[in-house]
Amino acid sequence: MHDEPLLNVSNLTVDLLTAKAAVRPVDGVSYTVRQGECLAIVGESGSGKTVMNFAPLGLMPTGVTTNLSGSVRFDGRELIGLPESEIRKVRGKSIGFIFQDPMSALNPVRRVGRQIAEMAELHLKMTPRAAEERALELIKLVGISDPAARLRQFPHELSGGLRQRIVIAIALAGEPKLLIADEPTTALDVTVQAQILRLLKDLQRRLNMAMVLITHDMGVVAGAADNIVVMYAARAAERGPVDKVLVTPRHPYTRGLINAIPRREDPIGSEFRGLPGIPPTLGAPFKGCAFAPRCELAIPACTASRPPLARSADSAVVVACAVVNQRKAAA
Amino acid sequence: MIHFISKRLRHSLVLLFMASLVCFTLVVSAPGNVAVLIAELRGAVATPGYVEKVAEEIGLHKPLLMRYAGWLGDAVRGDFGISYRTGQEVSADLPKRMLVTGTLIVGSAVVATLLGLALGFLGAFWPYRLPDRVSRGLALLGASTPTFFVGALMIYGFSVTFQLFPSFGFGGPESWVLPWVTVAVLPAAVLSRVVRVGLEEAMASPFVLTAKSKGLGRTAILFRDALPNIIPVFINALGTQVGLMTATAIIVEPLFAWQGVGDYFLQGVKFRDFMVVQACLLIFLAFFIVVNLIVDLAVLMTDPRVRRQWS
Repeated sequence: MHDEPLLNVSNLTVDLLTAKAAVRPVDGVSYTVRQGECLAIVGESGSGKTVMNFAPLGLMPTGVTTNLSGSVRFDGRELIGLPESEIRKVRGKSIGFIFQDPMSALNPVRRVGRQIAEMAELHLKMTPRAAEERALELIKLVGISDPAARLRQFPHELSGGLRQRIVIAIALAGEPKLLIADEPTTALDVTVQAQILRLLKDLQRRLNMAMVLITHDMGVVAGAADNIVVMYAARAAERGPVDKVLVTPRHPYTRGLINAIPRREDPIGSEFRGLPGIPPTLGAPFKGCAFAPRCELAIPACTASRPPLARSADSAVVVACAVVNQRKAAA
Repeated sequence: MIHFISKRLRHSLVLLFMASLVCFTLVVSAPGNVAVLIAELRGAVATPGYVEKVAEEIGLHKPLLMRYAGWLGDAVRGDFGISYRTGQEVSADLPKRMLVTGTLIVGSAVVATLLGLALGFLGAFWPYRLPDRVSRGLALLGASTPTFFVGALMIYGFSVTFQLFPSFGFGGPESWVLPWVTVAVLPAAVLSRVVRVGLEEAMASPFVLTAKSKGLGRTAILFRDALPNIIPVFINALGTQVGLMTATAIIVEPLFAWQGVGDYFLQGVKFRDFMVVQACLLIFLAFFIVVNLIVDLAVLMTDPRVRRQWS
């Protein structure tokens, strides 16, 4: 239709107001995802990666007032400012969601078949009978054996890996163009993680969907994603193609993250390499770079003003670091 | 499942036996001498000699254990003895009275369920808004108003002032309305809170986020996702309330001049009519045990997680 990416997030800022506190978990973040592409969003807990994806789609807990600014264009349509009734039509139908904990993401007292089928009834306007057929197809698609029997089971009768496959089947039921997977493997056994990730990747390619993969597992990123956004304290620290960012990380935070991955040549019993210091709490305002207190490269200028995202030596990668960008300018 | 039911039935029988022992002990240890009352009732002057004769006649001199064994043996065969006051067979009076009380309790349970669900949903639909506050206020009012007073208000309002329903007697359906509502007020108030709180809790669960992500609307989520989750809790609460309705029946039946088991019990107590009191107590206890059994089975049917443990 046109050349616009499927999902175009620009300068998104999210403010959350509860009765007691106001926090800004997402502060001026931009990224794009094209059809058939997978974008990984990486960051530690509390860096805003989940809120960034859920808030614009109205998936926030009740009792929290969410203020959005910036722009989120999906499939040629601006989502920010749309009434809830319109955003609801996007959820499930055009965007499928996968959650972190499949143990609690499914309704414990309803058969999994119904939980899948109601998607087909809602979004594909199917009759209950046709929707059951569709649920059976989906459950085969996500690689579950003995599909007909599984449909009649309840979530507690299935293992974690099977439940996550059910959650994936639900996400796919509306034939979405975009999948948002929020740490889809974090709550699973290590042996199952790889299977689920492979399944997701395979489905994404076969159905030519776009995927946003929220994770803190660099291994997941390397295996699945095309592009990566590294989040730190509500802001994007570095953004670019995975092969470039992971191989030659530019931002000191990204470097620290990658350096923290245990390596095969590490001697047995050696200590893990962590990042020094602790991540900042949300809500505290930063004048300069939020990472400066933990950064080995920090110079006085870092705490003076917020470093803008700037193109690095490789024009595909953007970095928000005053020191790195200064060096580049000097070179 | 069959195993579970048979096990629960066996437990129930043991429970019923122990309950009968307790109610027999309670009744015989109550103060007052029934022989005196009977003697006076017969019109004769209650001389010590005559009282003695009456006591002998109704078997008050036998050892307690013998009296209990005799009474239990007869009760198992459906013979609850002869009322000291009327001289009639207790078991002849019971079926009609049980029908009356059954009508009262079943009808009240239905009214309480409907009212409780309606008020609870009202609050859950608009949490912390006006309908929620009204529902909570009504629940507080309903839970704290004594039943006899509710009954009097009902009669005054709907029978005396507006003359919509008869104020007493067990006749056609129109005569059932006021007693049903009177008994249902307190359980409905309790149940509405169970529904409201349960729904709110369910709506905060992670699976509701999943349901939202599916594109379902709030109403659909409330009914499809939240409601099935609170049904087992609701059934449990309803069971307790229905069990307690036997006690309410003792107050409400005399109020509306219904000749049910509650009314029978009250008359029995007033006259120390042991046979009647014992029979009524046993019926109440059996009812309680049966209600509990039904509740357990119903929870088993509605909660797949519990069902799994027994299948």
